[in-house]
Amino acid sequence: MALRTLKLEIFRYNPNVSGDKPQMQEYILEEEPDMTLFMALTRLREEQDPSLIFDFSCRAAVCGSCAMLINGRPKLACKTMTKDLRKKITLMPLPVFKLIGDLSVDTGSWFRAMNKRLEAWVHTNKEFDPDAQEGRMDNDLALRIYESERCIECGCCVAGCGTAILREEFISSAGLNRLARFFIDPRDERSPDQYFEVIGNEYGTFGCVGLMACDDLCPMEIPLQQQLAFVRRKMLVAGLTGSGR
Amino acid sequence: MSVPNPYITDVLVIGAGLAGERTAIEAASCGCDVTILSIVPPRRSHSTGAQGGMQASLGNTAMGRGDNTDIHFTDTVKGSDWGCDQDVARLFANLAPVAVRQLSYWGCPWNRVVAGRKTLPDGREIEELVEYEGLIMARDFGGTAKWRTCYTADGTGHTVQYTMDTVVLKMGITVHDRVETLSLIHDGEKCYGAICRCLRTGKLMVYLAKVTVIATGGYGRLYGASTNAIINEGTGMFIALNTGIVPLGNMEAVQFHPTAIVPSWVLITEGARGDGGYLLDKDLHRFMPDYEPAKKELASRDVVSRRMMHHMRIGKGVDSKYGLHLWLDIRHLGRKHIYTNLREIAKVCQDFNGIDPAKELIPVRPTQHYSMGGVRTNIDGAAYGLNGLYAAGEASCWDMHGFNRLGGNSLAETTVMGMVVGRKAAEYVAGTTFIYKESMVRDHIKRQQERINNLIAGRNGKENIYKLKKIMEDALLEKVFIFRNGKDLQEAVNTLREVYQRSLKAGLMSDGQGANPELGAALRLPGMLRLALCIAYGALQRTESRGSHSREDYPKRDDANWLKRTLAYWPEEGDLPVLKYEPVKITELPPGERGYGETAAVKK
Amino acid sequence: MLQRILTHSNKTDLVIDLAELISGFLLVGFLWVHMFFVASVLVGPQAFNQVPKFLEAYYLAQIGIPAVIVLILAHMVLAGRRIPNRLQEMKMIWKHSRLLMHYDTWTWVFQVITGVAIGILAAAHIWTVVSRWTINMSISAERVTQSPYFIFYIILLICGEYHVGIGLYRIGVKWGWFKRQKLSKVLDVITLAIIAMGIVSLFVIKSHAGVTGGGGQ
Ligand SMILES: Cc1cc2nc3c(=O)[nH]c(=O)nc-3n(C[C@H](O)[C@H](O)[C@H](O)COP(=O)(O)OP(=O)(O)OC[C@H]3O[C@@H](n4cnc5c(N)ncnc54)[C@H](O)[C@@H]3O)c2cc1C
Ligand code: SF4
Ligand code: SF4
Ligand code: FES
Repeated sequence: MALRTLKLEIFRYNPNVSGDKPQMQEYILEEEPDMTLFMALTRLREEQDPSLIFDFSCRAAVCGSCAMLINGRPKLACKTMTKDLRKKITLMPLPVFKLIGDLSVDTGSWFRAMNKRLEAWVHTNKEFDPDAQEGRMDNDLALRIYESERCIECGCCVAGCGTAILREEFISSAGLNRLARFFIDPRDERSPDQYFEVIGNEYGTFGCVGLMACDDLCPMEIPLQQQLAFVRRKMLVAGLTGSGR
Repeated sequence: MSVPNPYITDVLVIGAGLAGERTAIEAASCGCDVTILSIVPPRRSHSTGAQGGMQASLGNTAMGRGDNTDIHFTDTVKGSDWGCDQDVARLFANLAPVAVRQLSYWGCPWNRVVAGRKTLPDGREIEELVEYEGLIMARDFGGTAKWRTCYTADGTGHTVQYTMDTVVLKMGITVHDRVETLSLIHDGEKCYGAICRCLRTGKLMVYLAKVTVIATGGYGRLYGASTNAIINEGTGMFIALNTGIVPLGNMEAVQFHPTAIVPSWVLITEGARGDGGYLLDKDLHRFMPDYEPAKKELASRDVVSRRMMHHMRIGKGVDSKYGLHLWLDIRHLGRKHIYTNLREIAKVCQDFNGIDPAKELIPVRPTQHYSMGGVRTNIDGAAYGLNGLYAAGEASCWDMHGFNRLGGNSLAETTVMGMVVGRKAAEYVAGTTFIYKESMVRDHIKRQQERINNLIAGRNGKENIYKLKKIMEDALLEKVFIFRNGKDLQEAVNTLREVYQRSLKAGLMSDGQGANPELGAALRLPGMLRLALCIAYGALQRTESRGSHSREDYPKRDDANWLKRTLAYWPEEGDLPVLKYEPVKITELPPGERGYGETAAVKK
Repeated sequence: MLQRILTHSNKTDLVIDLAELISGFLLVGFLWVHMFFVASVLVGPQAFNQVPKFLEAYYLAQIGIPAVIVLILAHMVLAGRRIPNRLQEMKMIWKHSRLLMHYDTWTWVFQVITGVAIGILAAAHIWTVVSRWTINMSISAERVTQSPYFIFYIILLICGEYHVGIGLYRIGVKWGWFKRQKLSKVLDVITLAIIAMGIVSLFVIKSHAGVTGGGGQ
């Protein structure tokens, strides 16, 4: 394909510089073969504007650092190739999350707080015995857990969710998916009642109105609709049969 | 200048990858107050990018039957080309099974043994026994006598890091992310913590601690082409080197991977060749059988890398904007096989090159992959030279890898070493009282603040840091790569010395305000060049070939003169490291044949 | 936050969610039955005139109409709690939808709009019908021949059916018994079929104006 001259419109705002105002800034860049937005932004920073703030770590679509609004849609910039985009590209930071500067947002703190809230770890009373064989598990179950565990906490689903935009405390599909992972893990000894306490409410499973932006936007292609519905059904049963308030 | 309030903790762990988090967990469970620092949120550390797996001799699978810690030890020592410390390799092999089982206890969804008969891609028949069903499964990895690499589908590093981080969360260990350490606070005898820069605001921060642990991972990004995350710039290594007292071990020992996709250098896993992929040159000729008639594409990583480089050198490489490369051809494996068994490879091809590997050729070339060298420590993980300073993981030279790391031994090392270092750090904390001189801390802050001020004001000069960095990357990639020789290495050293001097005269193009990324890069650059010089100069001096260090002018391993480890120190003045050497510890296995050199190669 | 934690009950959230779901289902049932009753005109005016008689005979009208009104009100309150209530929130969601250009999010915005529209239009519709109770061909036909009323009914019909179709899709998606894409196709067909049936019925009713003799009074 012929290489083009790209026009990038990038959101600029550094809250740490007094007097700075949010604005869109335009950059012109010559496209290169197999160019990703990671390469494009790095070149902009190194050749045109070294103050440009954005986040990349793995640049291989596995760490979740680089989600941003690419022509309005939340996507991973590192695995977006310029040849799949039109000549004029707009880049904006993800909504919902706290802005650090330009295209960088604090997804890390958001997800950490969410995981704390969900107590997203294995709850068990067993002690680890270094001399004992590991506990057995069915391989299919291990793969099912892995299916949810694949989430890279990039925040695309959160940024695309109308509910999350309106309700700050909404746990979001990433949170519900994370919880589903512990729910099906027999090593976690929490009862359905205990899960219901945490997410059986308006800020959790019953807050989701089923917009399915999350399901369409997840770069890891995690089946979020099925995960959300699974949690909802389990929480219905827990809520109707359990002793929770 | 305003002095920031110091943040005080018992154990300061710099780095939230697997090594850092495992160290923190151990120290915290010994009762210490622990704080972890990281450039990125823990779950975005480079460790999450490892796909393959983690070695531990559980022996649950049919192909791992009879495996034990002795065999794992032997594989590790052979792999290192006898460059490792054998007491460390022994400790490691013994603890790896515990580490893997503990991860399972914490929730890691390891793949499990499924009973029944199976046919392997090469036609062999195996049977998994019912009595092992549900126990942790293992896969084949280069250089091991048994199948020993435990895994979770195609995301082992991801699941292990996430599992580790849940424990950090559960224990309530403090994590400060978006913090970059700039230097260590020390008085020439003892380490007291670190000076850092907040990557949210750009402000300086001071952390004081009884023990400081460097767990900052590798330096892959010194090279122009690396499979590493872009934050792997070796910062932890050079802050230790910059003390002038702490040496780096075996920096010339660099591992390369034969197949990274061009031009993003994302790794194409061994599976592509393992399942029968071909390497083709610019005439679409399959060249590996010409060099390795027996093993062909299945020779070991370093052998395949060397053959590829050689073939490109004789003019058979494909020219592209991003330099020479070769082709990986998996089309004949069929669409079904590619999109099921090799799914992660297909995804990389689609995501980063927009190609369909069932129809098109994949552009690949060898790149930097892993750093065996690092902050030299003893078997407890305590750094040489400064009390109260420890190191763990890829940033360290504990030294179980010697001159070549086995696939899957690195994730295992991070976890095992974290267990050891965390405990030793806690013991050190219990036996120490914390007294520090405020003037010393102030001196250290002042030094960093001055560097920042000078850069912003452009007082040292106007050298463009990105241009200098590019020269460094190219020098390493062209002259300190897979094939090395005296002439090239000398040229590289000359170039790097010159660039190092220029890097001291760097100036900013932007204003350097707030979390300015250019300022961060400028602060790192001289340290990165020091590392590059340690690598190039160490390689120049080592006149033998051992493991991944392959000298064309000295093609043989030379145990009489070189069965020893390089220790690189950075002197107060000057632009070259001072090299010293120490013997490697041989306790069980005397030097011998690796058994998979240039001709006898690994199965996978 | 403390007060909210102390007063908040998860059970209530669950019950409200279920109530919204059940009220929604009942209204869907009602609307579809209603449309079939209207479509009875396709069989003939006699059939059409028979319906209200049948309803009254079994007291379905006397109980049914108030019950439906209560249901609609309940559903409005329950579902309405999700509607962005402050102007800024509305702006946010509008902006979000425009930026995202995501199909399902747009349909939700339209669902809110049609929901509000139905609230108003249905009130008017019920008022006009009940205030001159009994339904027969002549009254209906007379109403429908007045063109504002005709357009009014078409709008109400489309809003209602769209709202129902999307609502059912959303329920299916949320509880996850079906695959999204398939579900959406099936519901699209049903919705279009009922809208078509409704429009044809309206035309038929209109064509009866005058014919049955009552039209011109
Ligand atoms: C593509 C790829 C695949 C791999 N696959 C495998 C495999 O299958 N099996 C295997 O065993 N090994 C594999 N490896 C190697 C393995 O992934 C790494 O060696 C290992 O993850 C290193 O872990 P670590 O904890 O030492 O460092 P990292 O995971 O790199 O963590 C470093 C941490 O330090 C922080 N940090 C760095 N500098 C600073 C600073 N200045 N201040 C504060 N914080 C800092 C970072 O934010 C990060 O949190 C692979 C490597 C690559 C590149
Ligand atoms: S289905 Fe919609 S409302 Fe629910 S979490 Fe996903 S995007 Fe948000
Ligand atoms: S669920 Fe998908 S979109 Fe959401 S955070 Fe995880 S990986 Fe990203
Ligand atoms: S940089 Fe890691 S996902 Fe894009």
